[in-house]
Amino acid sequence: MKERIRKREQDPWIASRIRILQGIGLALFFLLLGRLYWLQVVKYEELRTLSENNRIRIRVVRAPRGVILDRRGRPVAETQASFDLIVTPVDVKAIEEELQLLSEVLELDAGEIREKIIRGQDANPYRSITIARDLRFEQLSVIEFNREALPGFSVQVEAKRSYPLGPEFAHVLGYVGEASEQELAAGQGRRLLLGDIVGKYGLEKARDDVLRGVNGGRQVEVDAAGRDKRLVTEVPPRTGATVQTTIDADIQKVAYEAMEKKAGTVIAMDPKTGDILAFVSMPAFNPNSFSQGIRKNEWAALVANPRTPLQNKGLQGTYAPGSTVKPFLALTALEMGVQNPNARVLCEGSFTLGNRTFRCWKEKGHGMVDMYKAIVQSCDVYFYTLGLKLDPDRLASLERGAGLGVLTGVELPGEKSGLIPDTYWKQEVMKGRWYSYESVLLGIGQGAIHVTPLGMLSSYAAIATGGQVMRPRLVSRVVHGDGTAQDLPPVVERDLSWNPANVAFIRRTLAGVVNDYGTGGAARLPGVEVGGKTGTAQIVTVKGKMIKSEDLPYDIRDHAWFVGFAPVPDPEICVVVMVEHGGHGGSAAAPVVKAVMQEYFRRKQVDGKGGGA
Amino acid sequence: MSARKRFARVDWPVFLLVLGLCGVGLLNVYSGTRVLPSPGIPLFFKQIVWILLGVGVFLLLCFMGGGLIEEWAPHLFLAAVAILLFVLLAGKIRGGAQRWLSLGFFNVQPSEFAKIALVLALARYFSGRYTYEGIGFRDLLPALGITLVPFLLVALQPDLGTAGVFLIILAAMMMIACLRLRVFLLVGAAGAALVPGLWFVMKDYQKQRVLTFLDPGRDPLGAGYHVIQSKIAVGSGGVFGKGYLRGTQGSLRFLPEQHTDFAFAIFSEEWGFAGSVVLLLLFLALVYRMFYLASQSQDRFASFACGGIASYFLAHIVINIAMVCGLFPVVGIPLPFVSYGGSSMLTNMISLGILANLSRTRFTFQPGE
Repeated sequence: MKERIRKREQDPWIASRIRILQGIGLALFFLLLGRLYWLQVVKYEELRTLSENNRIRIRVVRAPRGVILDRRGRPVAETQASFDLIVTPVDVKAIEEELQLLSEVLELDAGEIREKIIRGQDANPYRSITIARDLRFEQLSVIEFNREALPGFSVQVEAKRSYPLGPEFAHVLGYVGEASEQELAAGQGRRLLLGDIVGKYGLEKARDDVLRGVNGGRQVEVDAAGRDKRLVTEVPPRTGATVQTTIDADIQKVAYEAMEKKAGTVIAMDPKTGDILAFVSMPAFNPNSFSQGIRKNEWAALVANPRTPLQNKGLQGTYAPGSTVKPFLALTALEMGVQNPNARVLCEGSFTLGNRTFRCWKEKGHGMVDMYKAIVQSCDVYFYTLGLKLDPDRLASLERGAGLGVLTGVELPGEKSGLIPDTYWKQEVMKGRWYSYESVLLGIGQGAIHVTPLGMLSSYAAIATGGQVMRPRLVSRVVHGDGTAQDLPPVVERDLSWNPANVAFIRRTLAGVVNDYGTGGAARLPGVEVGGKTGTAQIVTVKGKMIKSEDLPYDIRDHAWFVGFAPVPDPEICVVVMVEHGGHGGSAAAPVVKAVMQEYFRRKQVDGKGGGA
Repeated sequence: MSARKRFARVDWPVFLLVLGLCGVGLLNVYSGTRVLPSPGIPLFFKQIVWILLGVGVFLLLCFMGGGLIEEWAPHLFLAAVAILLFVLLAGKIRGGAQRWLSLGFFNVQPSEFAKIALVLALARYFSGRYTYEGIGFRDLLPALGITLVPFLLVALQPDLGTAGVFLIILAAMMMIACLRLRVFLLVGAAGAALVPGLWFVMKDYQKQRVLTFLDPGRDPLGAGYHVIQSKIAVGSGGVFGKGYLRGTQGSLRFLPEQHTDFAFAIFSEEWGFAGSVVLLLLFLALVYRMFYLASQSQDRFASFACGGIASYFLAHIVINIAMVCGLFPVVGIPLPFVSYGGSSMLTNMISLGILANLSRTRFTFQPGE
């Protein structure tokens, strides 16, 4: 042991200071004794009565969810008053009789209500839980009338979620619902209570933490029938934050109406900021149905619908891009210096590789086509030959850079990436070598390739900006309950170093598609130069014959694409439309793009200057 | 050494008081847990095992040779800090608060053991610097540093209650080590000035925690409700109590944590004011004996360590009972020997074992080893 000087004697000073501590301790003990005397002797009668009756109850006062606004500040998700039936489990007396009465009035399964009460009992029998939401007037009357027969139950005014524009915003905003077992277990730290409403889908889910707010509560003393007698303490709830989106409700409406009775998606974006101006997926559903707990048959119908209304086709559906991919082959060829844009290819209606024949959509052929004409007329033979010439890995890397086959990073949950095939994928996943016919098929966006409409939009926005890929932005501002605001600036995802001359050429050809007797004439707008590309994603090939897609049964009709931007010299809006089984892009999808762009430029004119908030 | 000599080393007053308190605690754990649904071994039997283990540890420490504890103090401290750090990082990875270290068969709460390590480290430090003139500001800074490391690690868990106990330990030991009054006031003022600064560093949810901490009425769904129910339980006991196993607040599961942090509510509901006074006297006797042993020691390290341990017990007892009576915000501080809990039981027994071991220095004049 180390050498150390010790004072080997009792230290009277230490002892005296310890006596001070002892004195402090003694004083504290007397304080506790005094407190115990006060509670157990002086206040005995009062506290004894309270304990015998167990009269203190907790009423949860749920926080209203924050409002969601469109880019012009109009509410697209708000809260309304709702009369909810609540129960304090400990006050429930004759449960079976009460249940029978309630299940008749509420049109709910008695077992379901019992289950809820038992779960609440386990969590905290003195804390209220919600049994049914948004009661109708006649239900309220029956419950009030039977007040005496329903001890423990009472009606409380709560906030319910409402979406004034209903299905138009279904997939963007999503919907809310009662927190599930898993969400309750995961949300312990966030003070999630049984029966709390949380975002389940869309922005409601993505921004749930700020939208939800903080529950308040009341401690009340109740009488023997469980009726409130006296308020003991109260803490008001704190409303959730206001979330401002980039969506323009007017454009959204036009997009929704243009797609009515169709299945598919429309997304409009400002290519410079990535602001999503409209986002519609069809068929839609009514998010209001979910706010008070969706009815079983309604849910079953949504799930059983073959056109999958619960799926956001804009980012969860993946489709072959068809001819919309052609500009990227052209751009790859230009960037790599593989093909001179003036070089011409003879199209006689088909292309043969070995013993396989690939048809052009135009049976008689296009004759001699250069790169411009090949895109404008969407000549397949030109791109078969170009596809064969290009290194598939170089092509894939350019397409991925633009945003095809990769996640865009949009904040909506459930985004899929799709797939851009390359030789690595072929070898590692498919365990096979790359065949040249695959390159040929890739020329017209068929084969293993599949992309989401949002990815497609992102890639055309990259052409519109000349290589700057923005992350799609849905929320521009969050204003918290205490007034502090948080701005979410646009995010540059990638900066691609494309040769400006090449991108300008591609933009010019895309303008030709719409304005120079190309396949996209239906998207032409007076006064604004629109550029874009049609696409038709084949589902099946019918051997030998050319059949008009419109003549096929719905399920095997082709998907129709149109993706474009305007005005071509300096694009400020970029729109993608994908119509499932819509037939040809030029006829099914282009008019929808036209309608959306028309609304955008009309609004812009009305506002005088600038299109946004 | 003969068995007689060995047992002469046990401090019998402390040992008997502890056995008495454990007995009270065990009865109370039975009353508090009999209505709880408990899968596996009943907590009552688990508590018996903890008591037996604790007594074993206590006796072992009593029999241990002198000087070892002082020698190990720095290593113990470093080990405690390392474990706290590990728990914090593991918690960060898993997400959410993490106070427990799972050892498979049971969970331990390292912040409990860190209290002993801190007492010993501070005792070692102060005993090296001790002079009759008192400890000056310059010598105080390292002691502050020693305390702040575990304090911050525990405060970040976040367990502000336990972190607060670290500060109380520091304050009590500064007093025993004779901090000059001027320095004492200076440090107090600086600490008070730091509190508003801390407010700006804290995250939103931590602020909420502190606000609820200061005003339980803010959180009527949680802590605020508990305080009201706890006061009702205590008050409804009256002078002689409702009788053992006759408490209603407890058996109706009104109380949160009724076998751990709120165990005293169950006890005083069933045993009344009379029972509470007896329990308080037992605690008072124990704390008095501990301070007495600290003051009688001829060894500086032993004096400081015993004084620190006594202060730590005093803080736990007073804070817990004050919390149950609604005099103090709800914090997770257990009542020694009465609350159910393995980590707490073992920590208390280890502390008392160390105290008993060190208190021998009041008899023996040990030549410098």
